[in-house]
Amino acid sequence: MEARPKQLLEAQPRFEALQEGPGASGELFGVHELRKAWGDHVILDGLELVLDRGTINWVGGANGIGKTTLLRICAGLITHDSGAIDLDGLHPHRQRSRYQARVGFLSAGDRGLYARLTVRQHLELWGKLSLLRRDRFRSTLERMIGRLDLAELADRRMDRLSMGQRQRVRLAMAFLHEPDLVLLDEPLNSLDPHGVEQFLGCLSDVTSRGGAALLCSPAASDDVSFDTMHWLQNGRLASRRSG
Amino acid sequence: MSSHLAAAMAIFRRDLRIFLSYRTMAYSQALSAVASLAVFYYLSRLLSVRTFSSSSSYFAFVVVGLVILAIVQSTLVLSTAVRGELVAGTFERVLLSPFGAVRGALSMMIFPMVHAMVMGTWTLVVASVFFGLTLHWATLPLALPVGILAALAFSAIALLIAALVIVFKQAPGIGMVVIGITFISGLYFPTNLLPLWIRWASAVQPFTPAVNLLRFLLVGLPMSSSPWLSLLKLLAFTAFLFPLGIWVLARGVFMGQRRGTIIEY
Repeated sequence: MEARPKQLLEAQPRFEALQEGPGASGELFGVHELRKAWGDHVILDGLELVLDRGTINWVGGANGIGKTTLLRICAGLITHDSGAIDLDGLHPHRQRSRYQARVGFLSAGDRGLYARLTVRQHLELWGKLSLLRRDRFRSTLERMIGRLDLAELADRRMDRLSMGQRQRVRLAMAFLHEPDLVLLDEPLNSLDPHGVEQFLGCLSDVTSRGGAALLCSPAASDDVSFDTMHWLQNGRLASRRSG
Repeated sequence: MSSHLAAAMAIFRRDLRIFLSYRTMAYSQALSAVASLAVFYYLSRLLSVRTFSSSSSYFAFVVVGLVILAIVQSTLVLSTAVRGELVAGTFERVLLSPFGAVRGALSMMIFPMVHAMVMGTWTLVVASVFFGLTLHWATLPLALPVGILAALAFSAIALLIAALVIVFKQAPGIGMVVIGITFISGLYFPTNLLPLWIRWASAVQPFTPAVNLLRFLLVGLPMSSSPWLSLLKLLAFTAFLFPLGIWVLARGVFMGQRRGTIIEY
């Protein structure tokens, strides 16, 4: 149910720069003057992005334009050349551990899983790596298993799951530690309508506790209602608010 | 701190579960150890050299070498494991957790070390029960802390290789490293048989004092110098090399993040 590329290209000129700044009320996450180049190839060039609390946001753009690079930088997976990234006063590298405790990241594709571990073993592992408190560890795990309808799959090994089922496990891992900011690279991949519904429930959990979500994909999905939509081109974002 | 320990143990459990999921691996490794012992046992029967007073003396010498080789190899598998995690995309998940990549990589060494200790114990038991090795019971318990200390000293090299893998996606072959260590630390033969021009190498790394000390503690082979001096050398190497290895790995992770090699596979 994704928009056709042609429609997107037609829609592109309607994107205009939002008049937002770092001091905007309710700001949770901000990226300012961000620059990243691989050698001579400039990917992001003075990019600005602000995510308010309780919002779901989308970044689109052509293949290879830098959407995934932007998400990876925001997640703290790779470093940027210059500019500022701020999650509620936290820097992705200087306050790495506290920053990561508040960020959930989903990479594109179906990587990041151990073929011979079960669904529950994955969630237990990531719960421990997220340094979840012992007194809420079990309840958090069970809540996420219920949220993404994984109870029947919990004791099945990863190499025996379908792509859509794996994607639900990957989503569960991204949302497990109740992050304030979720960065999701093509999260709807392989999900059936039921899976999409469960995913929307996870997004709703994040926004209802004052968090924000940033999704990126080549085209915006009709399944998700976005508060802001951004189009990445020439290393910068053209943006618009919905409604 | 307890949550960090729990995270480290979760990585240990993960590695154990994956190991046990390959059901025949443990049996084949146990049988390989027996086969190695049998080969060296019968080789030792052929020996009659001045360096060793008897065949049993050489067999005791080489059995401890095999145990230490298992410890060396257990630390060096880190780079292979990191490479596998990079390819599978699981290393970036560890990196993006509050626990972090460096602690994650260090935790990835726990299972191989425990595995090496278990295999080392198995090797000694089989050598003792089936091939007549005489263990030195009075000092045997001390071998465990010394073995752990040796593993920590050896792991500095593993951390360095893992850092190279993260930054350059490749590293010098582990097989070559193991062969080099085998030669200069005297795992299969005494280092005083080495040519003079290379003998200095046996004195400037942690393997030789660890090997000599463990031979003394496990099977009571005499040492050319004081056991305390070897222990002091091993402690000094560990105190210097282990933090250095962690620092190099942390720099490697940072460089991998800057150059983008951390996301390549």
